[in-house]
Amino acid sequence: MSWARFVLANLWRNPLRSALTAGAVALAVALVSLLLTMPAGMDLLLDRLASNTRISVHHKAGVVYTMPAAFTRKIRQVDGVAAAVAMSWYGGAYEEAGRVTFPNFAVEAEHVGAVYPDYRIDPVELDDFLRYRDGAIVGRGTLRKYGWKIGDRVTLKSTIYPADLEVRIVGEIPNDAAPMLWLRRDYLDEALKARGWAGLGNANVVWVRVADPNRVNAVMRDIDDLSRNSEAETASETEKSFFGNFFGSLDGLVRIILLITSLVALCIVFIAANTTSMSVRERAGEIAVLRALGFSRAAIFRTLVAEALLLAGGAGLLGVAMAWGLTGTLRALAGWNETLGPLGNFTVTPAVVAQGVALSVAVGLLAGVAPALGVVRRPVAEALREVF
Amino acid sequence: MRHLPVAYSVRNVLARPTRSLMTAAVIALVVVACTLLLGLIGSLRRTLISSGDPRNLVVMRKGSDNDGSSQVTLEAYQAIRFFDGIARDAADQPLVSPELVVQPFIRRASGGRENVLVRGIEPMAFRVHSEVRIAAGRMLVPSAGEALVGRGLLGRYEGAEIGGELRFGRGRWRVVGVLEAGGSSFESEIWVDARELARDAKRPFPYSGIRVRTASPGDMAALRRRIDADPRYALEAKPEVEYYASQAESAHVLYVLVAGVALLAGIGAGFGAANTMYASVQARTAEIGTLRALGFSRRAILRAFEIEAAALGVAGFALGAVVSVALAAAVRHGLGGVGFSARTFTTNVIALHVAPSDLAIAAALAVLVGVTGGIAPAYRAARLRPIEALRRA
Repeated sequence: MSWARFVLANLWRNPLRSALTAGAVALAVALVSLLLTMPAGMDLLLDRLASNTRISVHHKAGVVYTMPAAFTRKIRQVDGVAAAVAMSWYGGAYEEAGRVTFPNFAVEAEHVGAVYPDYRIDPVELDDFLRYRDGAIVGRGTLRKYGWKIGDRVTLKSTIYPADLEVRIVGEIPNDAAPMLWLRRDYLDEALKARGWAGLGNANVVWVRVADPNRVNAVMRDIDDLSRNSEAETASETEKSFFGNFFGSLDGLVRIILLITSLVALCIVFIAANTTSMSVRERAGEIAVLRALGFSRAAIFRTLVAEALLLAGGAGLLGVAMAWGLTGTLRALAGWNETLGPLGNFTVTPAVVAQGVALSVAVGLLAGVAPALGVVRRPVAEALREVF
Repeated sequence: MRHLPVAYSVRNVLARPTRSLMTAAVIALVVVACTLLLGLIGSLRRTLISSGDPRNLVVMRKGSDNDGSSQVTLEAYQAIRFFDGIARDAADQPLVSPELVVQPFIRRASGGRENVLVRGIEPMAFRVHSEVRIAAGRMLVPSAGEALVGRGLLGRYEGAEIGGELRFGRGRWRVVGVLEAGGSSFESEIWVDARELARDAKRPFPYSGIRVRTASPGDMAALRRRIDADPRYALEAKPEVEYYASQAESAHVLYVLVAGVALLAGIGAGFGAANTMYASVQARTAEIGTLRALGFSRRAILRAFEIEAAALGVAGFALGAVVSVALAAAVRHGLGGVGFSARTFTTNVIALHVAPSDLAIAAALAVLVGVTGGIAPAYRAARLRPIEALRRA
């Protein structure tokens, strides 16, 4: 009988116990992998949305503090700036939804395409956005959600400006995750003036694309220097840092989730160690016989540890596969129920797979070594005396 | 029918202390994970749901789901003040509190920044929000750069203490008092003078929302209809309690998380418990044979093993309950509050408390895990044929 078959046969000795242990380890690894996808999911979400050559210029006090939209012209003159677009939060609620269900902004049609080349918006659609004053570009996620298509007219009721607008959808942002809607600043400006208000003189954020990725920091410094000591001092940051800060207040929650993850990981070590020690203890007599027959301590130790490793490793793979299936289900669910939206971003990445498998191997080692050492160290005569 | 005494099952748990302790520890960890998550949800819900007065209405622009993204004109405020059905104070002033909510950046004492909810108020706010009071310090003086800070924010931001200087918006604000509001989300807010805040944020409209105390529950419905139907202002009135309950919807994600953790970890621990029980049945084959030979029925054996499994569950729960209450206290003291963003994008600071109801749910889960893990081994024990069991021994 080969060594490998011997290990397998031992695992098969009590198939029910092996299955239960493998099941417990697999479930726990699945859980840990799922929880591990959360920080990675956030990062992935940021990476997908954010470009490292795009920067956000906003008032130092926060995005709800506005700055003069004319400032955008000064930004465009800064050396290294490829394009810049002023954005104002319109806060439009789609009538049927009754509240703000997707972000919508007033933007400059002639500049927005150059700031977001990575969104791959059809140039013909961008031309239409320039041509039609009431035009709007909408993310594919929102288009799908409401069953809109290009050419549709949609009325938005603003929660910010005393001007409700009907827009005509002229293009889409071809990204399934994109929820935003862009309408034109001049259209909103005109509507405000027609209703007797001051026009749209302010912006919440100016988005800037920097030509050279190596000069991002220098450009941010130059832009912030423009407004130093003015009434609207700006603070620039990369797009990733801008969105990352939205999640910053969640660090307490993340810490609790990590705490729970480590508890669960500990839980698996317990389960696996428990079983291994049970099965080793039951085989004390048999192991003594093997030793008496001339098998070395090292050989027996290797066998026992290999057994634990094989069980835990196999279970770990199963667990990672379960996590993969579950995140897929969550993504499907998130498409169906919007309150679950954030859960839809969690994907089992290769890094998570590696971590899950590494965890299960560590568990196998921890659970196998201690009981195996105990049983191997016992003098053969003593163990045999107990058995016979 | 003769039953085996409960003490028999309990003694069996104690007979193999290491193995039983391992299994109980596994169940305990499930209990801890579950209680902490439930405690988090409970604390969040309590914070949001305890906010708001059942007599109050929130008036915002139509379509707004939070008073931070809404605008109300001075004209609308002046008109609504004199609508019917609004409670009045001793000086016959209508209990209407116009407010401006702004969410500026603020620096965390621990580094990083977040959005904080700053509420610009007039003195009437303290009469309309009856649950909010100044727990320490004094009321702010308008136009003097003074601020009141919610109890939950103390120490979270640079200068968030009486006498400290907060920096947000264009200015600097001296903290003169601490707000207390029965654990509700007002304790995660900063209050300043409304006009001063409007100036600081350069808002064209002085207010973002209005809070109204209605005279009676009957007036509430009528007042809502009147505000909703008024074509001049495009405003909408919502009961304050409903408004905060809808903010709690952001906890749905957490529910899914808890259900997932409880399910996966629970089944895993159930497998672990089954393992221990199987081993225990196997080790006691001869004993079970003897019991059967002595005339104990299959059902008595089944019952004894089920009780043993439940005892493991109870032991696991007891262990887990102690650990999770201790951990919650450690988190409260170590982390202060747990930040959670509701729909407003501003931070609610929650004190993590494990409630008795959370422990009750975890207890049920622990016993369920123990008992379902014990069912199959108990059946195996009960099915053993006495002759064979004795012969094998």
